[in-house]
Amino acid sequence: MTNHWIDIRNSDVILIMGSNAAENHPISFKWVLEAKEKGATLISVDPRFTRTSAKADIYAPLRSGSDIPFIGGLINYIIQNNLYHEDYVRLYTNAPFLLNENFKMPGELDGVFSGYDAKNRKYDKKAWAFQKDAEGVVIKDETMKNQYSVFQLLKKHFSRYDIDSVSEISGTPKDLLEKVYKTYASTGKPDRVATIMYAMGWTQHTVGTQNIRAMAIVQLLLGNIGRAGGGVNALRGESNVQGSTDHCLLFHILPGYLKTPSASETTLQEYNDKWTPTTKEPNSANWWGNYPKYSVSLLKAHYGDNAIKNNDFGYNWLPKLDNGQNASWLMIFHEMMQGKFKGFFAWGQNPACSGSNANKVRSAMAKLDWMVNVNLFDNETGSFWRGPGVNPADVKTEVFFLPCCASMEKEGSITNSGRWAQWRYKAQDPQGQSLPDSEMINDLFFRVKSLYEKEGGAYPDPITKLAWDYGPKDASGKVTEVDTHLIAKEINGYFLEDTEIKGKLYKKGTLVPSFAFLQADGSTSSGNWLYCNSYTEKGNMMARRSQEDPTGTGLYPEWSWCWPVNRRIIYNRASVDEYGNPWDPKRPVIKWNGKKWEGDVPDGGWPPLKNPDGTDNPKAMKAYIMKPAGVAHIFGPGRADGPFPDHYEPLECPIQENPFNKSHRINPTAKLFFEEGKEEDIFYTCDIRYPYVCTTYRVTEHWQTGVMTRHQPWQLEMVPQLFVELSEELAAEMSIKNGDKLKVKSGRGEVIAVAAVTTRFKPFKIMGSTVHQIGLPWCFGWQYPEDGSGGDSANLLTPTIGDANTMIPETKAFMVGLEKI
Amino acid sequence: MAKSVLVDLTRCIGCRGCQVACKEWNERDARKTTFKGDFTNPAKLNSDTYTNIKFVETAEKNNVGWSFIKNQCMHCREPACAAACPVGALTKTAQGPVSYDYDRCIGCRYCMVACPFDIPKYEWESTSPWVQKCTFCSERMNDGMLPACIKTCPTETMYLDDYDKIVAEAKMRIAKEPNKYVQHIYGLNEAGGTNWLYISDIPFDKLGFKKGIPNESLPNYTWSVLSSIPEKVVGIVAFLGAVAYFRGRGSKEEGN
Repeated sequence: MTNHWIDIRNSDVILIMGSNAAENHPISFKWVLEAKEKGATLISVDPRFTRTSAKADIYAPLRSGSDIPFIGGLINYIIQNNLYHEDYVRLYTNAPFLLNENFKMPGELDGVFSGYDAKNRKYDKKAWAFQKDAEGVVIKDETMKNQYSVFQLLKKHFSRYDIDSVSEISGTPKDLLEKVYKTYASTGKPDRVATIMYAMGWTQHTVGTQNIRAMAIVQLLLGNIGRAGGGVNALRGESNVQGSTDHCLLFHILPGYLKTPSASETTLQEYNDKWTPTTKEPNSANWWGNYPKYSVSLLKAHYGDNAIKNNDFGYNWLPKLDNGQNASWLMIFHEMMQGKFKGFFAWGQNPACSGSNANKVRSAMAKLDWMVNVNLFDNETGSFWRGPGVNPADVKTEVFFLPCCASMEKEGSITNSGRWAQWRYKAQDPQGQSLPDSEMINDLFFRVKSLYEKEGGAYPDPITKLAWDYGPKDASGKVTEVDTHLIAKEINGYFLEDTEIKGKLYKKGTLVPSFAFLQADGSTSSGNWLYCNSYTEKGNMMARRSQEDPTGTGLYPEWSWCWPVNRRIIYNRASVDEYGNPWDPKRPVIKWNGKKWEGDVPDGGWPPLKNPDGTDNPKAMKAYIMKPAGVAHIFGPGRADGPFPDHYEPLECPIQENPFNKSHRINPTAKLFFEEGKEEDIFYTCDIRYPYVCTTYRVTEHWQTGVMTRHQPWQLEMVPQLFVELSEELAAEMSIKNGDKLKVKSGRGEVIAVAAVTTRFKPFKIMGSTVHQIGLPWCFGWQYPEDGSGGDSANLLTPTIGDANTMIPETKAFMVGLEKI
Repeated sequence: MAKSVLVDLTRCIGCRGCQVACKEWNERDARKTTFKGDFTNPAKLNSDTYTNIKFVETAEKNNVGWSFIKNQCMHCREPACAAACPVGALTKTAQGPVSYDYDRCIGCRYCMVACPFDIPKYEWESTSPWVQKCTFCSERMNDGMLPACIKTCPTETMYLDDYDKIVAEAKMRIAKEPNKYVQHIYGLNEAGGTNWLYISDIPFDKLGFKKGIPNESLPNYTWSVLSSIPEKVVGIVAFLGAVAYFRGRGSKEEGN
């Protein structure tokens, strides 16, 4: 989130789209209802009328996969009716930037932007370059009237999303579109603010990233980012997934959202040069320009005294990707299916149920030599070898089950959607033989290290040179008990030598106060620069529990700790005008008092853009400090599938042709998995066997694939088995009654589900035809309840394809058929 | 002053935290259920389920709607169950809860017949069965804690306070947003008044609330008859006695 949970109560308009927050983030509704009590309008946009819609002032249905037209229509509405916050757009975004005169967009190029390479399905982004002057500074038109300006291109691009066209593709009635647009766009005024709460309903599409981009553009046009009650708020799907992404448990990033090195970056210098942005733009802080300080400090944290200048601080001990290698989730199982993996750690996950195209995932597991499943309970993954249709005698995989303990049986922190990291305590000892994950990793590390030291291997150094000081050590040097406080402190970082900064001496071995003090010369360490400031000489900031809220806007600055440096609302320097006065004095985030900023931790202490006399202040910095040019990206030059969002249909969809881009039905850069002869990745679109749009979702009562909650009798009692929701109209067509057993099938698999005939799904009118949509939860699996009465995973239906940028699987829109049984 | 609860149905999001918190506090079991087509599960209260959320689809305000109704003992001000109980196992406490004493219970189940809201449930499977129903967490309240369901609720659907403050709050909320709420407080008069009161944005009869419950306490119906019995008994005895006296006077003289 750019903002945080409590801040939602400050909004005038709350749009919940691509999310069913009342169902899946029920505690958040405390804040939503508080906003409503103060007069806020809640809008729910969802293919299905959900528990969230039940509390909304306005509900608008839309077909799964038509979010870009819906939001594109809003962008068009805002621009056509002059409802954008013009000063904000001019000051804080790249709307005034001029594109090169050859740049063309899908409206002219039938579905693609300039620079498209059809054979390789990718863009040459040099085609999206800005015009620059002789000094390399981007040429801008502050009036935003120049035809090559981002603003005019935006206007032209989204003029294709008129309300009629949007209604045709999404199935949303025109009057509802108008109502939603009018209500939301009313927050373009400086003293009104809106927020968006979104989740997997937006991200799990081949155009997922662009869904978010579209909303970011809306929020920038309306001047809602950096503001109390505003922002772009991602509701994370697990209580600590924010922590896991911050510490970068993903193939393409290192802790603190640094980049995983590639094979061609053979030295630290090349690596740092590649990823450290530079800029010629005046007054731009370009904070990522500090990249080398963070990468070197990370290496020092990993390799300690073994990391020295002469060996590039151990840079070559870091694993590297082959150039352009895609090692994402979908690729893991794709390659596993081809027998390319010997072993697999399924650590705290259940891919046999959570993985898209679960049949493929389950079959792939049988190709492994060994698997280690770490979990609280046995599940469909650890027991894949005895699943439905599997003969254990045919499976050669050796499976180890390591029981881990639950979150309340160990001490440590979690980080919530709002970036708040909270220290949690141990309530009881682990049960039976279960262990905390940290103890398992500790044990594993020392065994692997010892084997390398005794037997050697292809490349032992990356393991044997690791610094590993997480607790008291025995005579052999092995840590006997992991102290999570030591891990947290290493993450924060230490001064490794006596260091003087701005006249103050910081002694060797003391904790670094914040990432502003990290160095690129190897004199500091930090396991994650974003968390530098979380555990300092003042103590464990994450353990704070003060209920003081001096600003009254819900910041609670000393309740836990958030990154970066406890800044609760990021981009907050855009919440003020050029003089440092809040756009919205009733809900200020920061305010310049003549000498410094008051309120939230400012996004950098530099003074406002203008002096009180109206002259530019040369010491000022632009608001969006994490972007090289210092301004927010309305034009996004870094995305794989285009600098502006555009509508492409899901891989499997109910229409033959994409009316917005007739030559490109689907995302032109999404990686395609299907190969002739290999049926496992097959997909069907506009096939009479699979005529219904299908989506998957969660229920409050179950958690993810249900590994934990299916074992809780009180939860299972409430939602005992797989169901499929369908409209009364579709039920009537097929003579289906509530409670009937149905088979739901897709090109890849099938599940048995109980029919829930409901008024909350209604047929859509899409491009003149009636299109039905149905949906199922994905919280069930064959392994438990042991009699199979719960049903199996909805992911047996979902397709092998992911977002063009993130590879997140498209589990929210695909086509299925129904059969009574 | 008795404790009461205002249930504002416009706030409930159907998360069922209350349903589970109640089971946890009262150490109730779960039962094997099936999905019958709507989310209300268990479909009815039972001896292991003191409270449940009923999911009701309505089309009252737009062409689609969904309401979530918390269902549990209403803790009537003059409970029929307590009046019907021949051994005083159910009593209305001054603190508010209608409480059940299993030691006194003889298993006659008159309370189940008497309750207009169909609340008390019986442990049919047990050889020493009790009647089971919401206890209003009286033991928690006596220790200064909130009832389990109220503590768990993320949206403050339920508000606990003294009875007259609850009534005032209900009236205030309806008056403040008359277009949002229906003009009725369920439980204000039904069955002579209950300690759990409801306000709603959808008419109560569309949500499955029991209709036709008289606006008088049920014991009152029998009380109007029962309370006149002493006078009637005395009156009849006196009358018959007078008749006997007059008749007896005559026979004595004849016999002489």
